[in-house]
Amino acid sequence: MEELWEFYYNKDWIKPFLLYSIYFFVFVSITLFSTIVVMRRLKLRNQKLEKRFTPIIEHILSLNLFESAFFSEFSAYEKLFRNGIFRNLMMESIINLHQNYDGTYAENLENFYMDSGLINDSYKKLNSEHWQIKCKGINELAEMNVAEAFGALVKMSKSSNKILTIVAINACIKLNGSNGIRHLARHKHSFDLWTQLNILDALKQGNLAHIQGLEYLLTSKNNSVISLGLKAISSLNLSEKAPFVQELIDDTTNEEILTEAKTVLNRLIVQNNRSLKYEFQ
Amino acid sequence: MSFNEFINIFVDIYLILILLYAIFIMSSYLILSCLSIIELKSYLKKNSFVNYQILLSSEYAPALSLIAPAYNEGMTITENVKSLLSLSYNNYQVIVVNDGSKDNSMELLISTYDLIPADQAYDAKIPTKNVKAIYQSRNAAFKKLLVVDKENGGKADALNVGINIAQNPYVVCIDVDCILDRDSLLKLAKPFMESSTKRVIATGGVVRIANQCIIKDGRLEEIHVPDKLLPRIQVLEYLRAFLLGRMAWERLDGLLLISGAFGAFDKEIALLAGGYNTKTVGEDMELVVRMRRYMHEHDLPYTVSFIPDPLCWTEAPESFSIFKKQRSRWMRGTIETLWTHRKMFFNPKFKLLGLVSVPYWTFFEFLAPFIESVGLIITFIFIALGMVNWDSFVILLLFVYFYSIMFSVLALLTEELTYHKYAKIKDYLKLLEGAFIEPFHFHLMSVFAALVGYYEKIKGTHGWGEMTRKGFSKK
Repeated sequence: MEELWEFYYNKDWIKPFLLYSIYFFVFVSITLFSTIVVMRRLKLRNQKLEKRFTPIIEHILSLNLFESAFFSEFSAYEKLFRNGIFRNLMMESIINLHQNYDGTYAENLENFYMDSGLINDSYKKLNSEHWQIKCKGINELAEMNVAEAFGALVKMSKSSNKILTIVAINACIKLNGSNGIRHLARHKHSFDLWTQLNILDALKQGNLAHIQGLEYLLTSKNNSVISLGLKAISSLNLSEKAPFVQELIDDTTNEEILTEAKTVLNRLIVQNNRSLKYEFQ
Repeated sequence: MSFNEFINIFVDIYLILILLYAIFIMSSYLILSCLSIIELKSYLKKNSFVNYQILLSSEYAPALSLIAPAYNEGMTITENVKSLLSLSYNNYQVIVVNDGSKDNSMELLISTYDLIPADQAYDAKIPTKNVKAIYQSRNAAFKKLLVVDKENGGKADALNVGINIAQNPYVVCIDVDCILDRDSLLKLAKPFMESSTKRVIATGGVVRIANQCIIKDGRLEEIHVPDKLLPRIQVLEYLRAFLLGRMAWERLDGLLLISGAFGAFDKEIALLAGGYNTKTVGEDMELVVRMRRYMHEHDLPYTVSFIPDPLCWTEAPESFSIFKKQRSRWMRGTIETLWTHRKMFFNPKFKLLGLVSVPYWTFFEFLAPFIESVGLIITFIFIALGMVNWDSFVILLLFVYFYSIMFSVLALLTEELTYHKYAKIKDYLKLLEGAFIEPFHFHLMSVFAALVGYYEKIKGTHGWGEMTRKGFSKK
């Protein structure tokens, strides 16, 4: 301690300390600003590449979409398909187009997605250590209706990462309708309201005619899953599920769930009466 | 002990204290910025998978009441209210509180929005000045709008009236002259739905400077860095404060301030805590501290959330006189809040809030201008007595100067990597130029304004003082 005090007190350290700190600050400042400049140049380079690739991608996809051209017919672009930026752009474009087309057009895109090996890119993303890359892969597989991925997505929906859970559950719903969330009845983590709304939204986006088995959620031991089930039944006006809600009201000991269930049941009854009135008229 | 020995001991003690303080403040900024960047990165990753639109169509989206106090805003009030009514959110009401304006604000609102007295009784859960009338629109297009006409009582009193009248569980307090991002309510509402274990009692967003930006129909159209030095350096200052400071406090759950320009609160807790304090000019900070204190004292699990997205754009003072008024008021608000809640200072009962946040604000926000001024005075005395080693003095100045530049450039890089709002490299160069000038210009002004704040507090000055604004450039 005495030595340390001596060292401090003789003040020989002050100048070198300040000088080296100044060199450090100047060096870091220049590095940081150079990084800004480099980032901007990289962005510009990527934008240029995007400009170059976009017409080619549009050409390939329009032939695939409207003239059912196969991937094998584009061997002239083989080299480009090995370029990372090109593949990413191609993936984005296919996903975007697939969101806007259905029927034969969508099937053409799905075939192209598989033949070009983009499906493998999506599967690779599922194995990434980073959850955000996994999410990208999940979204791609779900959008392209890769039903084989369902098992892997169910596993991921049990993740403790909230975003990954939401994305995986939504993908399950996309691939398997409301059956895609039956497994949630055994879900351990609690769903906050935001997660519940995301799942509800995914259900609404799906085919309402194929909504089955939502009552199964009401049998869960997880209150947040029961709450999700009630919200889904209420939002989708599934009055045929009223007996299951009544059963929940009779069985539950949780006050919040009881209140929510009663509200939903009342709403379903009112809705049902209204529909009967219209039918009668 | 001879006089010379006494002076030498005094100088040694002074130097060690100043050095420790400087190292402490500089390293705390760096630690906070590292935490902020980590938090920001995590937020942006998560946000890329967020679909805010689901809130638009959901009946379960939190219901919000926007409270916009207005005092002599006749020049812009109708347009500003129009822009508030056109935000992307379904479940919200707008409460404009006319705080006894002396201009024609009320007449303009009545005629523009076809207002008639509403059949609504005023229940003063928080005591306020007299409410003269509550109006609603006859036009169904403006059914979200409520206008309250009241006696003048200041911003805090007007906000309390809004809280008393609000029909929804969450209140969003805004400055009526701010420009809000169209999706700002969607983003502000989300944190209230995200926690199932802790209650989110307040949420705030980033405020940015809109001077020289182009506004069209109440929305931001083009973003520019101001040419004038004072607002330009404030752009830099806001970037540092919001991107490199508040996100860290959010991560530590020790945020003490949600900007009065745009913040959302859990109405029930705000009411239980007693609403805005009308006796302080720092009502925004004081309410957050009081709500947090209430939750701690009642042992309720809670958190305060912060969103790094630039949700609100405001006009910064362009003249020194207005700047001085604003900053001296901020200092008075800080002093009043810290004094009101002095019980929390280093009090382990309040955990991180008492042991870190409140002491940090005390030492680095409240005391920093004082310590700097004392340092300046002592330096001048040393110079006068010929006690200054000029080599060391210049090196010390450069040390602080380059640290300040490095920190500003870090803020610029963070902005580039995150929101990238300033598209032109010219804008970055303008900000970099500001960073070089700031220590000799803006920083001294800020310290002076803070000293004025101390003086006004000692003198017993109350109120805001007249804050004139130039207005935004319109397209």
